Amino acid sequence: MAEYEYKDPRKTFGEALVEVGEKYPEIVALSADSSKGSGMAPFHEKFPDRHFEFGIMEQGVIGFASGLATTGKIPFVAAIAPFVTARPFEMFRNDLGYMRQNVKVVGRCAGITYSDLGPTHHSLEDVAIIRTIPGVVVISPGDPVEIKKVVHAIAEHKGPVYVKIGSPKMPVLFDENYKFEIGKGVVVKDGTDVTIMGIGTVFHKAYFAAEILENKGISVRLVNMATVKPIDKELIVKCAKETGKIVTVEEHYLIGGLGSAVAEVLAREHPTPMKMIGIDDQFASNGPYEELLGLYGLQSDQIADTVQKFVGK
Amino acid sequence: MYKLTNEEVLELEKEALQVRRNVLRMIKASKAGHAGGALSSADIITALYFKIMRVDPKNPKWPQRDRFVLSAGHKCLALYAVLAEKGFFEKEILDTYGKLKSRLPGHPDMYKIPGVETNTGALGHGLSIAGGMALGVRMDGYDSKVYVVMGDGELAEGSNWEAAAACSHHKLDNILVFVDRNRLQISGPTVKVMSYEPLRARWEAFGWSVREIDGHNMREIVDNATDIPFEKGKPSLIIANTIKSKGLSFAEDKVNYHYWKATPEEIEQAEKDLNEIERRLANG
Repeated sequence: MAEYEYKDPRKTFGEALVEVGEKYPEIVALSADSSKGSGMAPFHEKFPDRHFEFGIMEQGVIGFASGLATTGKIPFVAAIAPFVTARPFEMFRNDLGYMRQNVKVVGRCAGITYSDLGPTHHSLEDVAIIRTIPGVVVISPGDPVEIKKVVHAIAEHKGPVYVKIGSPKMPVLFDENYKFEIGKGVVVKDGTDVTIMGIGTVFHKAYFAAEILENKGISVRLVNMATVKPIDKELIVKCAKETGKIVTVEEHYLIGGLGSAVAEVLAREHPTPMKMIGIDDQFASNGPYEELLGLYGLQSDQIADTVQKFVGK
Repeated sequence: MYKLTNEEVLELEKEALQVRRNVLRMIKASKAGHAGGALSSADIITALYFKIMRVDPKNPKWPQRDRFVLSAGHKCLALYAVLAEKGFFEKEILDTYGKLKSRLPGHPDMYKIPGVETNTGALGHGLSIAGGMALGVRMDGYDSKVYVVMGDGELAEGSNWEAAAACSHHKLDNILVFVDRNRLQISGPTVKVMSYEPLRARWEAFGWSVREIDGHNMREIVDNATDIPFEKGKPSLIIANTIKSKGLSFAEDKVNYHYWKATPEEIEQAEKDLNEIERRLANG
């Protein structure tokens, strides 16, 4: 395996927030305590008058963001993922979704990256619940380069957005030429036997699984499906037709996540055998992060095994 | 502080009567609606739009306007009635209330009708949105104010107290909240359902400057609402003591008229009641 540089996703988000903050004077940052943990310290340093602290007030902060947006501001709200999705869900639905406000919510330490803190701090349903809200864009970027490009793209996009990022350092897989576009999946590697669609914190696990499978003579098409909503229907159907089998990989419940979103498209447009890799209907356990991923079959060698059995080679 | 003349008081009372007639017009169209809270807050909302707020019906998105947030969204009959009277939209639209895809839903939708600033209805949302507006116009350097009407039953929602703390923490003294204290909610007297007492002390403890008025007295409404901030650096709040279904003889202060399913006889009586108010006002 090649050597990769690893970067902190929250720090990366924070750097990108300063970049877009310089570009768009309307951008304001709202935190619900632990703004440093959300990567907002550099923004605060650079634009102290544009950063507002709300303390541990995750319902109120969404409403304030909505009100700020009515005056033309572009609020970025960042906090721990379950506390800006599950907890203030109705505020997200009504104040951002129904009111179509130009607010960007970033849930950090998403999935089970808060591993040992247990299910109260895990966020395995955020994609499922937020993507039920009409008009909200849902993105789960797959590497630090993509995180930066996503922050730039959502600053430009008009409308409510949810972005989930993790906390452990992620390998840098893409270079600066990587092109992110909201609503478009990216074929990272072409192949013919099966398509693996991965996202977010475990996209790199799928990436390395594809390498393992190639060495075993299985031709994998690897797709980064960072935007879960609006989902890239065209690419999903194309991959289904051309490779005949689809595997999804996500650090999220199997209920309602990327796998569900892909299955919703295929069931209607082109029924295709699928394998969904993620966390089944249970509160996840606690412990060291990498070991936890292993408990749920999300390590690269496990993903490769699952895919190999599915392909039957 | 603005001091209303007797003529101005009478003029506002006449506007409020017309607002009540508009509420009745919508009830006649749909045969039902949340009239109780609309009529308890009708005088406040009338005074806001006709004497207090800086708004332009021809330019409803004017950035330097004052904002109105109806946190208790179910009182929207009063808001629609005032907006129509103020010229934000044609009065004929009032007759579509309750109809399929009406531009006047049972809770307000900012994209359906001009003048509505927020999509409220789920209780406990309005104050934080209003706080964000107040912060936004302050950042822009405008002297715009944000006015909010909350219900007293709504105060059981914990999210209000998050917003109350944040408005005070961020020193939003360009915001004025009216608590429409009609003392009734759908299942009974509010303090029996879930007590909010001591009401004034609670808000003061959260850092607000509080006054208490008769919410049907135009002089008290306007004189106080034009005097904000009550204290520099603090958000202001008026506890407005009101009567649910104010103006309807058969429904005033009765809990079962929270949501009024109007019979033809009641509509007839309501018209008589409003005519009687008109006769009284005509006599000065």
